[in-house]
Parts: sequence; structure tokens; C-alpha cells
Amino acid sequence: MLKRLGVVVFIAAGLSALVAGLVAFASAGRVEAVPAFARQYDLQCNACHTRPPRLNRFGEQFHMMGFQIPSAAQPGGIVTSVREDGVVKTLIDSVALRVEGGLFEYTASPQETEAKFVPPDEITLFVARPLLPELSIFVEIEGEPNAVAFENGRYFNKGEFGLGKEAFFMLNLGRLLGLLGAPTMEMGGQTMVGKHGGFSMHGPMLMAGKVDPSTNFSYATNRQLIAPTELEVAQGEVERLPVVPYAFASKFFGLFKNSDEGEPQLVTDQVMYNTAGAPGADFHAMFNDVVLGQIGFLRENEGFNTYAAARFDLLDRSELTFNVSVLVNWGFGVVRAPNPEDPNQPGNRLDRLRYGIAANVRWKQLDVYGAVIWDRLYGVPGALRGTFDGTATGLTMQADYLVHEKLMLSSRFDQLWAGGLKDEKRDGSVLSVQAKFYPWQNIAFFVRDSVNLRSVVEDSPLRNWRNQLFVGIDWDF
Amino acid sequence: MRAKLFTSLAIGALGLLVGLWLICPPATRANGDKHEEKGGHAHVPAPLEYADAHVPLAVWTDPAMIARGKEIYTVKCAVCHGDTGDGKGPAGVVLPLKPSDFRDKAGVAEMRDNYWFWRVSDGGQVEPFKGKGSAMPSWKSELSVEDRWAVMAYQHTYSGHDGPHVPWEHPESVAMGRDIFVMACVPCHGVVGKGDGSVGPMLAPRRAPQPRDFTSAEFKFRSTPSGQLPMTADLFRTMTEGVRSGGGPMTIGLRGHRIMPSFQHMPVEQRLEVLEYVKSLNRGFWERGAVKTVTVPAPPTLTPERLTRGKQLYTDAECLACHGERGRGDGLSAPTLKDNRDLPIAATDLTRPERFKTGSRPEDVYRTLMTGLAGTPMPSYGDALEPDQAWDLVYYVLSLSNNRRRTSEAVR
Repeated sequence: MLKRLGVVVFIAAGLSALVAGLVAFASAGRVEAVPAFARQYDLQCNACHTRPPRLNRFGEQFHMMGFQIPSAAQPGGIVTSVREDGVVKTLIDSVALRVEGGLFEYTASPQETEAKFVPPDEITLFVARPLLPELSIFVEIEGEPNAVAFENGRYFNKGEFGLGKEAFFMLNLGRLLGLLGAPTMEMGGQTMVGKHGGFSMHGPMLMAGKVDPSTNFSYATNRQLIAPTELEVAQGEVERLPVVPYAFASKFFGLFKNSDEGEPQLVTDQVMYNTAGAPGADFHAMFNDVVLGQIGFLRENEGFNTYAAARFDLLDRSELTFNVSVLVNWGFGVVRAPNPEDPNQPGNRLDRLRYGIAANVRWKQLDVYGAVIWDRLYGVPGALRGTFDGTATGLTMQADYLVHEKLMLSSRFDQLWAGGLKDEKRDGSVLSVQAKFYPWQNIAFFVRDSVNLRSVVEDSPLRNWRNQLFVGIDWDF
Repeated sequence: MRAKLFTSLAIGALGLLVGLWLICPPATRANGDKHEEKGGHAHVPAPLEYADAHVPLAVWTDPAMIARGKEIYTVKCAVCHGDTGDGKGPAGVVLPLKPSDFRDKAGVAEMRDNYWFWRVSDGGQVEPFKGKGSAMPSWKSELSVEDRWAVMAYQHTYSGHDGPHVPWEHPESVAMGRDIFVMACVPCHGVVGKGDGSVGPMLAPRRAPQPRDFTSAEFKFRSTPSGQLPMTADLFRTMTEGVRSGGGPMTIGLRGHRIMPSFQHMPVEQRLEVLEYVKSLNRGFWERGAVKTVTVPAPPTLTPERLTRGKQLYTDAECLACHGERGRGDGLSAPTLKDNRDLPIAATDLTRPERFKTGSRPEDVYRTLMTGLAGTPMPSYGDALEPDQAWDLVYYVLSLSNNRRRTSEAVR
């Protein structure tokens, strides 16, 4: 088996080198080979990212302020850009393409060992641009060759194309509050509420459309250097669940998303944060550069979520930063319980309380972040009492270390104390390690290994594997 | 149905808010205070030509200077500002814009020394004061610099403040700059400007360049002689243009992209406010004496002879030891170069002028040659080269560019 693994790694490394060579040949000398915002602001990718896609402190400020350089928004917005740069350059600078995902996968389990070449998981076209100093748009148009669809009670692979996880506009409401009588400050084209030397509030920013509030949290699941793996299906059934940050997963076995199709809510489905795309609205504001407050609502399945979160930037000294976030989320009728008569059919709608805490420490080249999230379901039918666990917890901890400017090592531990139907539920513990090699700022090749730390359970798609090795690419251009 | 409702609501809200944005112009001032209502004494930042006019610290408490100032004040200022500095002198009470009340502690504390010096020097003959109807005369032709300092020191006594009138005594004078600094600069330069924000180590791990430590005496991009602090205009230029990436293995294919953003869209007065805060982190700006800056003479005409002489100078001045014979940054010494923080530093690839940190215009290259880059192995040639020789070398350096057309355009 080791010999086979060696061959596989050798092939993967050769393939990576080939692709790297082709990319090098294709990119040399091209100014345009960077994503939209880097082109718009003529900045290196690393000005905002520790390494793409994770944001550094400056990138977080940039995102928080609606994709504008803090205090330095283009006063004329897109009109001036078109006038100064022309339509073509403005258009080119407004779009970016991201190719992300596997080139090669190797999965080992006591029952079966599988090695295969795979196409990239996601190809995303970004359209992103500030339109006015206080209004920006961000749209992801996503193609997923390996997407899994659920129809007529069965899972199957079906390529998908359409709006991605995020498609929203972001508007700075500071001026609106000024109209209502609040004191305002004009800072680089962006209106802030407050008074210099006293109370200050950046924003509030309204983000509406398909939004993901995750970015402002201490653990930004949508900015993961260790990407979620793909759901694998066979013969209409789930064969293997993806490895995701379990803290933000749905965590319950036996739930359903809806009643019409009876689609299961998988235990690893990301809910609230980093979802497949939820319409909603989000308000966030930074108070005195210490507390970031966030409230909003999102649709989820047949119901909707309301949430409130706060991030406290507690320390920023000598290359050391530390922040803590708290989250409370109430989902109104967001999932369906299993029908007590037939657990394979959806029953009544349930409310979900989610709360949690996350923290992030950055010190020199080390970036450590983690989150514990508790979920509790309300409205579980009395007939399920005794067979259904209405509480679940997830823990995710990650450390990224920039060994060299071309090499980022990451490690993540995911722990799931699952809830749901007691005869189905399984806890999970996964350790993932990854080396991501950046020949250029906008291109990365990664080798990643995820290890199931628990005993293998053959009939559990959460734990029917021992080891998964991935070689992949993450290319923004 | 629900999706349509969401879409309609979102479009409606967006339309409403954009409409509000368009019909309500932004505030014209950044500080949110009400000085406009208190006699039009907006404490706007001093213009660049006055930005370095800081008053020596000893002046504010020197009895001799205060006495000298009192004599001048009594003759020239009291008629409007009053014998007690309350702005109610016999001529002042009839003026449309009331003279300043120097007893107003808070108002005086917000005035920076260079602003004060500018007001005494140019009076109300410049904007924004002229437009507000200020009758304050310009005193720069009648009073020497020391006389103006003396008057300011005397006026300052009315406020009741005993120490020097400097930002670290009056943090409110740089509050606006501080707020912008926190938002835009802290991630890299750190909370107290020591260059120790959390971004630097990830930007270029264990190598130069790292974000500038504003509290130290080392500033790379200057028009001042080697070892001296920069002028405010130098800081302003860096802030406006940003800092381009000097190369390194990460930047292949990303020509000319900045490692520090350009803040060109930040209004000029706000950039100056930030710089006043940045300077307040380093007392050296107040403790230095008169500074002689390197002036960039008008570029001469480019001729083949100049290039020939420049090539010889390139060898004689040992540029090739670091930058290499063809200017690719691959000289024999290049792999061993370190900066003053003992971090490895790359020799600039002169064939890629779009990566020159301070810009690739001939005057930028000239300035870099004559001042050097403090804290790096790049020395100053200010004492070694005559201006004409420096131009020869500038033209030769620019001729090494891979993009000759661009270079010849820059030279023209």
C-alpha cells in the first residue's frame, strides 16, 4: 500500500510541476494575472491576504469598508474609473477568475482504496467593484463540475452553474445616519459616524443580496486555507461526507431541509456561515476601532436565520494581534425533524439556536484561530424524545504558519459531537494537514492530508474512511 | 415568490439609499467639530510649504522670547486680539470674522505649531481664511522667523499652558490624523507606528522590506541628506504614490504592483492630517534644526555621450557590485545584502523600473541616488557626484530597462 501511495504522490507531484511550468510560461510578464481588487488598486495580493484567500488585518478593514482602501475611496467611483482608465480596463479590472480544487485524490479505508484524477471543484468568476465611494458590488458566478444534486430522493453528480455563495451590494449608511442627525466625519470619501478624538463608528455597512457574514468573525470559514472537500455520492446515496470546519456544520443526523423534496440536511452542511448562498441582509459597524458589531438575517431552507455577532479586537501590539468573537443565531423553522412515524421522511419544522465563541491570534508568521459552536434544536416532536438528541457541538481549530514566502503550512482539527437520531449519529474527529506552495502570489498548489482520528465505521459516510490525500490548485487571475 | 419579494425589496432599498447618497453631499470637513460656527477658525492643516515649520521646543518657555513676543504683540496684534488675548481688541470687535481668542484653551490646543506659524506668516490672505473675510495681515515680510516664534510664544501664554505647544502635549491637535491612521495604517505600521503591525511579517516574512518604524530616525524615501528625517513633502509623496514592490520571488508576472497602497484618493488635507499624526510619533521632527534638502535640477537633454559617461560611472561607483552588470539585481554582493534590521534585502532589478520603490521618473531616480535609502545598503552619492554626473547615471540606469519605450517616454 505504501508503494502505491508513493507512486500516486510521484504522479501528483509530476502533474503539479507540469501545471506550474505551463502557468509560469503563460503568466510571465502579464500584468493582468491578478484578481480584480489587486488590479483596481494596483496592489500585491499579499497586501490584503496572509495568503489568498485568508485575509490579513488590512484585508479585513478593506472588506469591512465595502472593498475600498480605508479612508481613500475613489471620489468619483466607477464614473471616474471609466473616464480615466477607459471602459475596457475598467471592465477587466472588475472581474477575476478563480479555479480551485483537486487535481488528484487518494482515499484509503479498510474496505477500499481509491485513487483518481479529478477536475477542479469550483471555477468562479468574480465581478467586484466599488461603484460609488460608499457603494460596492460583489458577485460570484460559479461553475461546479463536481456538484452534487438531489432530485427524486437520490443524489447524483451534476455540473452546476449560477450565482455562487455571495452576490451582494454593500452600502455605507454613515451618511444616512448623518441625515438623521448623527455627527459625521468625512474620511477619504467615506462618511463615518462620530467625532475625531471621541466616539467613532465605521459604517454601519449594509450588505444585501446573497451574503455570507462569516468574514467579520474571528474564524472566517469562507476564507479557509484548507478548503472543504467534496461530497461523494454513489448509486444515489451519500458515500462519503466532506471534511469541513465542523464547528460551522449543521451537526445533526436525520434532519431534512424541506418537505417537498425531502432532501436531507447533511450533518456536514455548512449553515449560517459559508452556506451555498443565502439571500439576506447584514449590517455591520466598527465602534472605536475595538468592537465590530454585526446583525442580520438570512434565508435557510424553508425558514430564516437572525443573528448577532460581535468581534472584540483586544490586542494589537508588536506584531501580535488577538481578537475574540461571539455569535448568537436563531433559525426560525430552518430544518425539519424526521417524521416520528417514518424517520426517512421529513416531519415538522424546527427552530435552531446557535451560539458560539471564536478567537484569533496572529503573531509574526503564525496565525491561529478556532471556534466552538453549540447548536440546540427546538420543537422536536415528543414522539422522538429518547431517540433524538437535540443538542450538538462542533470545535474547529486551525493554525497557519508561513514557513517561507512561498510556503504556507496549515493544520486543522475538527471535532464534532453530533446530535440527531441516536441510532445514526456518529461523532467525528479529523486532523488535516496541508502544505500550500505559492510559486506566485495568485497561484497555489497544495498537498493535503486528512486523517480520520476515530475508528472506521463502515456504514457511516462520516467515518468510513481512514485517510484522504489531495493534490490541488488554487489559482486566481 | 419569496425570492421575488426579496429581490424587489433589495432593489427598492438600494434605489432609495443611492438616491439619498446623491441628494445629500458629503460633509466638507473631516473633523466633525463646530469650528465653522465659532468664528470660522477652521484648524486646517498647514500647506506643505509650512508643514515643516515646527517651532523649536525651547521657544515656548523661554522668558526672553516671551518678552520679545510681548513687545511685538502689543504693537502689532493687540489692536485686534486685545490686550488680554481675548480677541476683543478695539479694531477686532468690528471685524466680520472675529479674531482668535487665545484664552480658549481647547481652541489653542487644537492649533498645531506649523498651522499657527502659517497663520502669523500669511494671515488671512490665503484660503480658506480669505474667503471667510479674515482681515488678518501677513507678517512674514515684517517679522523675522524668530520674531514670529516669539509672538506665538507670547500668545501661547494666554492659554495657560506651561509646556511646549507640541502634539504630545495636545493629542487633540492630531486626533483626526490618528483616526485615519488607525483605520488605514495600523495593520502594517502598528498602533504606535513602530512598524510592528501584524501584516508585515506575512507580507515579506523574514526579509526586507518591512513597514517603516516612524519612531526611528531611518526613513528610506527622503529629499534630505543621509541620516536625516524626511520632509513632510517626502512623506506626502510616499503616502500619495504608495510603495512599489521591489521584486522578490513572489512577484513574477505582477509588474509594478504596490506593496503599500497609494492613498492618492484621500483628500489632500486628510493626508496632511495623517502625516501630522505620523510626525507626532517622532520628536526628531521638532528637535532638528534647519534642513537643507536635495533639490532636483531640471533634467538635461539625453545624449549618447551622457549614456557613455553614465555607464562608466555605474562601474566606478560600484553599482554593479549589487545591481549586476546588466542591472538585474544579480551582482556578486546581492545575495549577501542585509538591511539595518539584519534582514536579507534584494538589490533592485534596474531592468524593471516599474518596480522602483519611489518611482521611475528621472527625478525619482536622481533623488534616490543623491540621498540613498537609509537603513539599506544603498548609499547616498550626494557627496560623490556632481549634479550633472548624477544625471548621467540616472539616464544610464533608466536605459537598462527592459521597456525602453517606456523609459524614453519618462526621460522625455
